[in-house]
Amino acid sequence: MTTLALIYKFLIQILPAIQITLIISVASIILGGLLGVALTRAKLSPHWWWRAIANVYISVIRATPAIIMIFVVYYGLPFLIKGWFHVSIEGWNRMYFVIIALTLLFSAPVAEIFRSAYLAVPAGQKEAALMVGMSPWQAFSRITLPQTFVIALPNLANAIINLLKEGALTFTIGVVDMVAKAQMIVSNNSGGFAFETYGALALIYWVISLAIDKLVSLVESSFQKKRQAIQP
Amino acid sequence: MLTIKNLTKSYGPQQILKGIDFQVNQGDVITLIGPSGSGKTTLLRTITTLEKGDGGTIDFAGVQGELAHLSKNDIRTIRQNVGFVFQNYNLFNNKTTLQNVTEGLVVAHKIPKAQAKTIALAALKKVGMADYVDHYPSQLSGGQAQRVGIARAIALKPQVIFFDEPTSALDPELVGEVLKVMRQLAEEGATMVVITHQMNFARNVANKVVFMADGQVVEAGSPTDIFDHPQVPRTQQFLAEILSNV
Ligand SMILES: Nc1ncnc2c1ncn2[C@@H]1O[C@H](COP(=O)(O)OP(=O)(O)O)[C@@H](O)[C@H]1O
Ligand SMILES: [Mg+2]
Repeated sequence: MTTLALIYKFLIQILPAIQITLIISVASIILGGLLGVALTRAKLSPHWWWRAIANVYISVIRATPAIIMIFVVYYGLPFLIKGWFHVSIEGWNRMYFVIIALTLLFSAPVAEIFRSAYLAVPAGQKEAALMVGMSPWQAFSRITLPQTFVIALPNLANAIINLLKEGALTFTIGVVDMVAKAQMIVSNNSGGFAFETYGALALIYWVISLAIDKLVSLVESSFQKKRQAIQP
Repeated sequence: MLTIKNLTKSYGPQQILKGIDFQVNQGDVITLIGPSGSGKTTLLRTITTLEKGDGGTIDFAGVQGELAHLSKNDIRTIRQNVGFVFQNYNLFNNKTTLQNVTEGLVVAHKIPKAQAKTIALAALKKVGMADYVDHYPSQLSGGQAQRVGIARAIALKPQVIFFDEPTSALDPELVGEVLKVMRQLAEEGATMVVITHQMNFARNVANKVVFMADGQVVEAGSPTDIFDHPQVPRTQQFLAEILSNV
């Protein structure tokens, strides 16, 4: 068989496991996104202690390599939960631990991205909304937030692709995702065809990132007109 | 209709407004003039609750209270009864011309969408922007954007409309179209407070001119009083400077 044919063969074998990768990624993006928004609020809080908590959290998370985070959550969390609540979570589906770890990891860049995007929306937008009688919440949700989101999009796409790559460490605690599947294939072949197998895997990751980029640029261009500020 | 008494406001150690009394009656067109940095913008922003006053009282739209201690409800009431036209327009960048006007009607004033659209189209027609309903702010000239800003304010039928230098960000050839709309509003009886350096507007359209310097109202009166017979040397000096620049 040619290399290409082999890559194709392994691709087909690996692909079913994409489900695990996608579930983990989507769940972490949603949960991490929400946690990131909460952190953004804390970072923009007028109370210094909220800002301090958020800053410490973010700097710790940012300094933690993904593999360490996954181990800390997987080996450490059951221990802590048992100590605090006397509940055993060791029997949990291992995927949950990965989702928790990636959620924590993702929340930090999201907070940074949203904060700078929020600050990039001119203050006059909010003021104009207040002056047509909107409540602060209405001004935020209808005027400031949509503009923040559009500004944040490109950086958000990068963060998502990073998350996806960090998720490739899922196999380290025994979840059978695409990486684990590829490893099995290689060991079934007694270490043979490693190049073709991992090549197929890399190809899948590449296509997913392309898809994310494409999706973001579609969303972006649909917002394009609205985003440009008028030049006074 | 609107009465402000003894308004004070500081930014840090610097006192910007030093005890301002300000009164607006129904149908008034008041122009607020004065050197840059004298506190005109701050005064408007404090009256409209965009900034919090340190001291002083407000009596407006059923709200009577100290500016420093207004409740959330009071603030909402005041905001729902004023219109504000900004120097740099501040149109909602993510909304079309039409949406810029309907947004406040629908979201804040709970007017049904269809009715809001009718009101908005009438307001846009009045400012000559009915042909631009689907344009985004980025696609408008400064003069067009400011006219939409005015439509957005008048659509809400506010008791008073505040204008903060509505033409000073515009290219000179676009100033006229905006002033024309404002003049028309004044003729229709709208109550307006206008910060401006357009002395022709102050003289010919306003019924009252307030001259501010260093955080105080130095002199106030009819345009004739202020422009032809200024009493205070500070006023005379300011007018001499600004009129010689024209
Ligand atoms: N947000 C702010 N923080 C600190 N100082 C301010 C702020 N806004 C205005 N000032 C100061 O208040 C003074 C009055 O400003 P302003 O009300 O804008 O004057 P005007 O509109 O008459 O030019 C100026 O000295 C200005 O620097
Ligand atoms: Mg000003």
